[in-house]
Amino acid sequence: MTTATVSRWDRFRESFFWYSFKRDKVAIASFIVLLSMVLSAIFAPLLAPTDPYDLAQINIMNSELPPVGMNGADEAFPLGTDAQGRDMLSTILYGTRVSLMIGFGAVLLQAVLGILFGLLAGYLGGKVDSVLMRIADVQLSFSTLMVAIIVGAVFKASFGNLMFGEIAIYMLIFIIGVAEWPQIARTVRASVLAEKKKEYVDAAKVMGFGTGRIMFRHILPNTLSPIFVIATVQIANAIISEAALSFLGLGMPETQPSLGSLIKSGFDYIQSGSWWITLIPGLVLVVLVLVINLLGDWLRDVMNPRLYKG
Amino acid sequence: MKKLVTAFVGSLALATAPAAFSADATKELKMAYDADPVTLDIHEQLSGGILQLSHMTFDPLVRWTKDLGVEPRLAESWERLDDKTVRFKLREGVKFHSGNELTTKDVEFTFNRLKQSQDFKAIFKPFSGINVIDDYTFELVTSEPYPLLLNTATYIFPLDSEFYSGKTEDGKDKDAITKHGSSFASTNLSGTGPYTVTERKQGVRVEFERFDDYWDTESPGNVGKIVMTPIKENNTRVSALLSGGVDFIAPVPPNDLERIRNDKDTQLVTMSGTRIILFHMNQERVEAFKNPKVREAIAYAVNQEGIAAKIMKGFATPAAQMSPAGYQGHNESLTLRFDVAKAQQLMKEAGYEDGFTITMMAPNNRYVNDDKIAQAVAAMLARINIKVDLKTLPKAQYWPEYDNRAADMMMIGWHADTEDSANFYEFLTFCPDAETGSGQYNAGNYCNPEIDALVDKANVETDLDKRAAMLQEVEQRLYDEAAFIPLHWQDLAWASKKNVMIEPVLNVMNFPYLGDLVVK
Repeated sequence: MTTATVSRWDRFRESFFWYSFKRDKVAIASFIVLLSMVLSAIFAPLLAPTDPYDLAQINIMNSELPPVGMNGADEAFPLGTDAQGRDMLSTILYGTRVSLMIGFGAVLLQAVLGILFGLLAGYLGGKVDSVLMRIADVQLSFSTLMVAIIVGAVFKASFGNLMFGEIAIYMLIFIIGVAEWPQIARTVRASVLAEKKKEYVDAAKVMGFGTGRIMFRHILPNTLSPIFVIATVQIANAIISEAALSFLGLGMPETQPSLGSLIKSGFDYIQSGSWWITLIPGLVLVVLVLVINLLGDWLRDVMNPRLYKG
Repeated sequence: MKKLVTAFVGSLALATAPAAFSADATKELKMAYDADPVTLDIHEQLSGGILQLSHMTFDPLVRWTKDLGVEPRLAESWERLDDKTVRFKLREGVKFHSGNELTTKDVEFTFNRLKQSQDFKAIFKPFSGINVIDDYTFELVTSEPYPLLLNTATYIFPLDSEFYSGKTEDGKDKDAITKHGSSFASTNLSGTGPYTVTERKQGVRVEFERFDDYWDTESPGNVGKIVMTPIKENNTRVSALLSGGVDFIAPVPPNDLERIRNDKDTQLVTMSGTRIILFHMNQERVEAFKNPKVREAIAYAVNQEGIAAKIMKGFATPAAQMSPAGYQGHNESLTLRFDVAKAQQLMKEAGYEDGFTITMMAPNNRYVNDDKIAQAVAAMLARINIKVDLKTLPKAQYWPEYDNRAADMMMIGWHADTEDSANFYEFLTFCPDAETGSGQYNAGNYCNPEIDALVDKANVETDLDKRAAMLQEVEQRLYDEAAFIPLHWQDLAWASKKNVMIEPVLNVMNFPYLGDLVVK
């Protein structure tokens, strides 16, 4: 067993993947930034000086303090405080966590739906293909944001605010996940159409394997590279969608802010001196989405067989 | 410098010959409020927004001047006949927008409609009736000697009785008052005021045009057309003024006062206000609020000074009672009682140490920073383990919810219609009674008949010292029982471009007399 792991690690180290990663400074930097953001988000409860979800810890007298280094700053609040007196550093750490959870969660849901429907449509073809792809077409003709706004408003009206606050994060994962699955389904279908004509599929059929087994064990692994690439881009998209929804007041409630709702809450103050309430979470959001996109770009180059020379 | 000289000469000319300017009302004013009027029926709702509309499209019998005196408008003169009766003489030759002429018939119609209006009837409760003498003379009679008769007459904006009589095409009475519904009066309007409504898209824009036959030819106002746009977002509203998109905005958010002062093309007018912002605790919805200890605990948990200093940026006076300084009921001995330890102690004594969950509602475009204040109060209540489910709504949706008493704690701001303390109690703490209209805005369902009786007694007391003592006792007892949670008296701020002379038409009631507005 040990030898197997070692050899797998060795194989990884000798792969083109690792080789190109080592030589691409942008990818390395992006990866380090993303990793540190993900880690600090995961360990937010340990790292954050205060718990921004606990309203009892907020003191209105501390509101709108600037970040350290500016006139009137308080060292207890390194990035300043928002209009209600919440520590910005803690709130951003928790907010990044919420945004990442929604980003990954939504893409996971998209991937499950997209892969399943894409495989079925591509491999079975015929009526199944037509039905599934027409559903995808209909779905794509609505803008994600519009679907999300309608569903969000309905949920908010039917559950009440407090209840909505508790389920908001799952709601957003659901809304964004369901709204965007056709992106992945179409990619998967296209690769499946190309793969299913290859000899190894015929061989598997001749050997008498079942449809499910051929689909998931033989074809799916060969279509994974485009899925990886599109999933990375979709994570960035999901985070942006969530931020947009929260900015419109239909996303995360102000009591459990994500990056989007943080940006919104500071919007009133941006031109009257307290720029940090909007600007800092805004920068964090931009950096987060940028590094994910850069990594996605790099991944596309590596996994594209036409560019792959190793 | 040249500009300044022209401005100076202009204002001089204006001061000497106001009539010369009123002839050509050609200027256009674009203004942005935080919200537009929710209805055109001025008797449907007693609110600042509707009274502002009343002053634009109607005229009152008498109105407040800037220094809180009373000046004649549609009533040319008046005399007190005895301690219960005042005789008014109506101005002759005043025309309504429809072309009908104003007579006492219209005043009588309006008076009776006010007595019907759910919102206004409590103000007119002391009045027993109206005696019409002839076409231009009438008397207002109160059942007891009433010191505030003239103050109340500022709320009589005569309606066009002919216009509002009869049936609509689908058989409804034209004079019906429908709250939050559609009626003839809520979409049509005919008054004597300086402006007519030419176009109205609820929530989008309202267009006013100057009424050609406006009776007040002495008015210096030279604005021919007003376009009112509601802009809910504070930041956007201020930006609209600074970028030149609009000429006049209100309210100005406290965090942008400096920005406007620093801009060389705009001017800022501020006044310390008398509008109290408070929270009611609904005893019918929440059992715990029946316990005075719990209410007191909340009163101790709320940091009024923090809200006034931080959220309002010092642009409000923290309040421990309803009556602002200068009102008869203002009780000097009542102080702010922010003390979290004491609040927690009181919750423990009341047996609610572990707290409970309540719902809270507040408007988000009615009062200055209303939604942020509500958020801050929710955070303060978390310290005594009261978990708050907060919902903030635009005012067009908030008032229907308010009338349904849809949440356990609801925010309201109140400006005393009569510039007198008793008005606060009658609307906000009296036992709710749909019949008389008292307690119409008491969303706490707090009810103490003893206090109500004391206010009623004060209302017929003509000895001002005795009256003040009674009203102050009322304020003291409401404080002791924590009948409500007062927050602050909101200061007022308006801003405009330098060529819009808003200062002379503004007042502490926040009823800009836009008919007299001069634009250079």
